[in-house]
Amino acid sequence: MRFSDAARTAYQGVRRNKTRSALTMLGIVIGIASVILLMSIGKSAEKLILDQVEGTGSNLIFIVPGSTKGSRFASPPSVQGIVIKTLVSRDVDALKKEPTIAAVAPEARGQAKIIYENNDATITYAGTNEDFFAMRNFTAAKGATFTNSDVDSFNRVAVIGSELAKTLFGEVEPVGKTVRLKNISFRVIGVLDKKGLGPMGIDQDNIVLIPITIAQKQMLGIDHYNLVTVQAGDAYDIEFAKSRITAVLRQNHRITDPDKDDFTIRTQEDALEVLSSITSILTIFLTSIAAISLVVGGIGIMNIMLVSVVERTKEIGLRKAVGATNPDILQQFLLEAMMLTFFGGIIGIAIGSGFTVILYFVLINVLPTGWAFALPLSAIGLAAGVSSLTGVVFGIYPARKASLANPIDSLRYE
Amino acid sequence: MISAKGLTKDYIVDGALTKALVGASFTIQKGEFVAIMGPSGSGKSTLLHILSFLDRPTSGSYTLLGRSISELSDKELAMIRNQEMGFVFQAFNLLSRAPVYQNVELPLLYSKVPVNERKSRVEKVVADVGLSEKLWVEAGRLSGGERQRVAIARALVNAPAVIFADEPTGNLDSKSGEQVMEILERLHRAGRTIVLVTHETYTSEYANRLIRLKDGAVEFDGPMEKKHKHDKDGNNNFFK
Repeated sequence: MRFSDAARTAYQGVRRNKTRSALTMLGIVIGIASVILLMSIGKSAEKLILDQVEGTGSNLIFIVPGSTKGSRFASPPSVQGIVIKTLVSRDVDALKKEPTIAAVAPEARGQAKIIYENNDATITYAGTNEDFFAMRNFTAAKGATFTNSDVDSFNRVAVIGSELAKTLFGEVEPVGKTVRLKNISFRVIGVLDKKGLGPMGIDQDNIVLIPITIAQKQMLGIDHYNLVTVQAGDAYDIEFAKSRITAVLRQNHRITDPDKDDFTIRTQEDALEVLSSITSILTIFLTSIAAISLVVGGIGIMNIMLVSVVERTKEIGLRKAVGATNPDILQQFLLEAMMLTFFGGIIGIAIGSGFTVILYFVLINVLPTGWAFALPLSAIGLAAGVSSLTGVVFGIYPARKASLANPIDSLRYE
Repeated sequence: MISAKGLTKDYIVDGALTKALVGASFTIQKGEFVAIMGPSGSGKSTLLHILSFLDRPTSGSYTLLGRSISELSDKELAMIRNQEMGFVFQAFNLLSRAPVYQNVELPLLYSKVPVNERKSRVEKVVADVGLSEKLWVEAGRLSGGERQRVAIARALVNAPAVIFADEPTGNLDSKSGEQVMEILERLHRAGRTIVLVTHETYTSEYANRLIRLKDGAVEFDGPMEKKHKHDKDGNNNFFK
């Protein structure tokens, strides 16, 4: 039998039994749609996180107090809530003198209730300096950001996140208004552009930025920093800058044994690497769940194809009587299974893509950070390939069973 | 054309040996219309399966057009079934959801006949059985008689050397049965070899020769004795 005739015969077989074909395809449709949707969610999450890290700024190096003792996946103790006071203004001053470094922004953070008239919100505030805004791509939508002069003069000024501005002020213009933070009055001088979630999971649209001097001396009563962000000079390799920072800090802290470092330095690349590993695991996990549904769909196809072989016993006998060989019958049933899974795959891809788009529109309206849209071509290619392969794998047994049927018994079958 | 010598066929049924054929021997010449008759269990169906290459004998020799069944592979048997044999079954065995055209075309798919030639052949044989206007009607929507005529068209489409008809009127009313038998008779008159298996005496009388089986052996082999109504030209009119 010619392949074109076999394909046509298989297609007719699929078309003549619309209900059965639709039911057979259902498992694959659901499986493939799940693969597309879940891979897309995984990829979107990855893209979202990577965009956040990249959106933090460029050439950035983060220094936190405490050591992770070599493990790049471990959190430094300071991030775990342990107070470590090793990063101080002397370090910042030394780093500012380092030629590989373009800018340095220390941060001291805390949480407090912010009050404007009858409205309040519990927020994270960060004391920092002028350089912070340019390094971290924080721009003012309204008003302005504070300067080093404000920092040095202990000016009680605040720049607030866009969501916080809505929460506290509603329709009122925030710039120029006075808010209270830990019973200290601050004049709002700027409202930030929308930023979404930060790489540390901080909602950057509900943040309050104040001069570092105020934060340290009047709000927190400390001399150390929680975080120092450094921007390497464009002319320098980031790893080289990192090594220079390490050298400066070790010298400042009189550390000779690298195992006794009391700080942790991470670049954006380090963060990306760690986050990529996490999101890759997430994608693999989600895809595995979808793959299970594909296997279940494949078994469904095998079941229905087996029922179909029994139901069409007489047809098999007839075809053999009029000249079909065993390979002809095998080819016909295998092609039918492959066609079902292929068509099921196409429908699944369409439905999965549709749900991905719907999910995207729902999530961008629900999540404060928005949602990165990703419909990876690899997912579509994988889905199409896997669906056809499912047809071969789960179609071969019923097809072989059909091909080996005895023509006399088949013709007599009632 | 057909030569059977000492055909035997044994089956094991529930652990017991059953002898369906015990040394059946006969020859059938080209252009003969032979009826194979016999009571239930006499071996009619078994003999037809062997003659039509759907089964192999346990022993004995069978040759069709000079080719011995014992020397042919399953693939060659399938090819000969396709090229040299036409089948008409009691239960029609049509693809009920496929149109007449696709049912009749079926044997041509396995003989790799080009599409254009297929079309002309199918249309011709469907016209020969008087169903041109039903070419694209689903087989399942046809009457029993029409279905059997489709089956005959399918049997004829590859211009086979011999047509095997297994109880072709068994599922038909008398009028449809008559139409089907008249078609077979016409084919015989046109020189076609026909082997008919039936238990109906009336139907068998369309044949010129009778092979009667009993207990797996040939009990009688000779000219058909026509006991029923015939017109002055000798045609069988028992349905009328």
